[in-house]
Amino acid sequence: MRPDTDKDTRHLGGELVIPAFAVLFTLYFFSSIWNSPWTAKVSAFLVGGVLILVCSIFFIKVAVTLVRGEGSLSFANLFTLADIRTGRIGLLATTVGYCVFIDRLGFTLTTFLFLSISMLILGQGKRPGLIVLTSGTMALGGWAVFIWAFDTRFPRGWFETAMQMVLGNG
Amino acid sequence: MGDTTTILIEVFFETMSYWWVILPTIFLGLVVGGIPGFSAANTIIILMPLTLSMSLEVGLIFMVALYCASRMGAGIPAILVNIPGTAGAAATPLDGYPMAQAGRGQQALAISFVASCLGGLLTTIVALMTMPVLARVGFYMHSVEMIVVMLFGISLIASIAAQDMLKGLIAGFLGLMIGSIGTDVVYATPRGTFGFLELYDGIPLIPALVGLFAVSEAFVIIEKKLIITEKAKAAMATPNWHATFEGAGLALSRWWHIVWTSLIGLIIGVIPGAGASIASFVAYQQSRSFSKTPELYGTGHAEGLIAPESANNGVTSGTLVPLLVLGIPGGATAAIMLVVMQYHGVSFGPSLFEDSPKVGYGMFMAMAVSYLFMLLTILPLSRYMSRVTTIPTIYLAPMIISFTLVGAFVPREYMFDMYLALAFGVLGYIARRTGYHVAAILIGVILGPLLEKYFLWSLKKSDGDIMVLFSSNIGNVLWVCLVLSLVLPIVFGRIRRNKARMVTQ
Repeated sequence: MRPDTDKDTRHLGGELVIPAFAVLFTLYFFSSIWNSPWTAKVSAFLVGGVLILVCSIFFIKVAVTLVRGEGSLSFANLFTLADIRTGRIGLLATTVGYCVFIDRLGFTLTTFLFLSISMLILGQGKRPGLIVLTSGTMALGGWAVFIWAFDTRFPRGWFETAMQMVLGNG
Repeated sequence: MGDTTTILIEVFFETMSYWWVILPTIFLGLVVGGIPGFSAANTIIILMPLTLSMSLEVGLIFMVALYCASRMGAGIPAILVNIPGTAGAAATPLDGYPMAQAGRGQQALAISFVASCLGGLLTTIVALMTMPVLARVGFYMHSVEMIVVMLFGISLIASIAAQDMLKGLIAGFLGLMIGSIGTDVVYATPRGTFGFLELYDGIPLIPALVGLFAVSEAFVIIEKKLIITEKAKAAMATPNWHATFEGAGLALSRWWHIVWTSLIGLIIGVIPGAGASIASFVAYQQSRSFSKTPELYGTGHAEGLIAPESANNGVTSGTLVPLLVLGIPGGATAAIMLVVMQYHGVSFGPSLFEDSPKVGYGMFMAMAVSYLFMLLTILPLSRYMSRVTTIPTIYLAPMIISFTLVGAFVPREYMFDMYLALAFGVLGYIARRTGYHVAAILIGVILGPLLEKYFLWSLKKSDGDIMVLFSSNIGNVLWVCLVLSLVLPIVFGRIRRNKARMVTQ
């Protein structure tokens, strides 16, 4: 749970992302309540005001650090070429794909494909047999517990429909 | 008194005879508690047809055992892979996960199990003995008092911020700001929703929890082959019972810590609307504030793990008190229990203990027996559960992502919530990589809307007079306690440093 920070070289560009997002979000929030009753505004202006103040102090601190030459505006603590090598970018792409396709292909098939592709990317193509076996077991296990046994409303596709028909007729 | 004792003894043995219901339910509870999105409340709803077809005793024991076990189960992934199963376990990884990373996952699980079971058992007994008094606590806790209770929890942000004040405060206040998304509680004016109808009810907690903890953690851990170090893996290569006994011993040697943090949970649990997340944050913060070694918190300190675990299990018995005595459910699970019990013709309220004393006492006895069974059956499993940390991250990370993202979908069944969890995952990843504490963001997201709600209610009732915050005697006592809990640790710390300096001189 300890935050990962690079204490040797301060990559201030990366450190500015959260405060910049915080300020932009707060300004958007203020714009959304500008004409609202006071009950909608009071705590948002209190919290948002403090947030903007704290972020402003942080921006000044960063500027001073930059002027002193103790840091750079790089994003190396957020993104490096190693992220491609370790498969992090690939994992992000498969995760987005998982969210997009689960509604169309259903839980079991999408989970199987996501697990297989992600593990292959992260494992750099090694031990494909074990990966497919693990992915298949996890996806089928998930289907058995959550859909077959608990009857939860997980997204369903042709696999779930086919299994429902098979089990229904059985 | 004699009659009550006879009934209690009778009910105890009767409950023990239902071991065949309790044992499988405990394991079910551990599973559903461990997966974000599958709370005890959800599971009881999903299994409602089954629960309603059971006899009254079996249904009651099933629900209570599931409730207790799921509370404890939520702490297992929080410790092993930094993913709290529910918001109530959000403070558990603060010290549990560093222990697991250091190869002490088995000890951490044993500490958590002992603290949970003893905390739950103790508060069940206390609740049983003090029910009429405890039930009145809810009457005295109005919006003003609740504001101070929330501030007790939110003050944990200040502790987290102590490591890097500016970043901690930015993370905490960003969380509070994100927690403000949704309609305001008085006029239902939509705020900061980006036009998404799905956000009108506010930020759903499970997607926030899944994203900030699970998804971001999965993207971080892939840098290493294993969660734990190679040295720790070598030490875990020869599994033994010693680590379990060591963890249990560590927890037992801090029995007083278990007692007072679980009582915090009990009292917060009694208040309708408050919950395990508030209790665990408050207990963690108070534990740290009055510790002789506050600097060890966040590094894998036993007391930092005991506090939230015993507190969130203390909540479990607390939520039953207003349900049984007043007929007011203290939380979602208690509300569902109310529905099931009413289906069986049992009406809650003051007459319950006269009309159906076996049902009233039976619920507490089911809880006590469940905790006893859990201690005996789950503690030995810590040896095997801790092996999760030896799974290579190339397998673990995708599994974490897929099952927790689907868990984010479960509570509301909106596809939107999966995307929201992914967005929180990206935010959490950036926060972790750049030194902002995700726990501080989460505290804001969880407690911010509650604080705002009570704040607005107070202002509304007093026609906007801010002095209403100091208008109640109980509230004022709580304010003094809050100030003392923030100031005294600083004073004690100075005294300790001065003493240490004098000794070295």
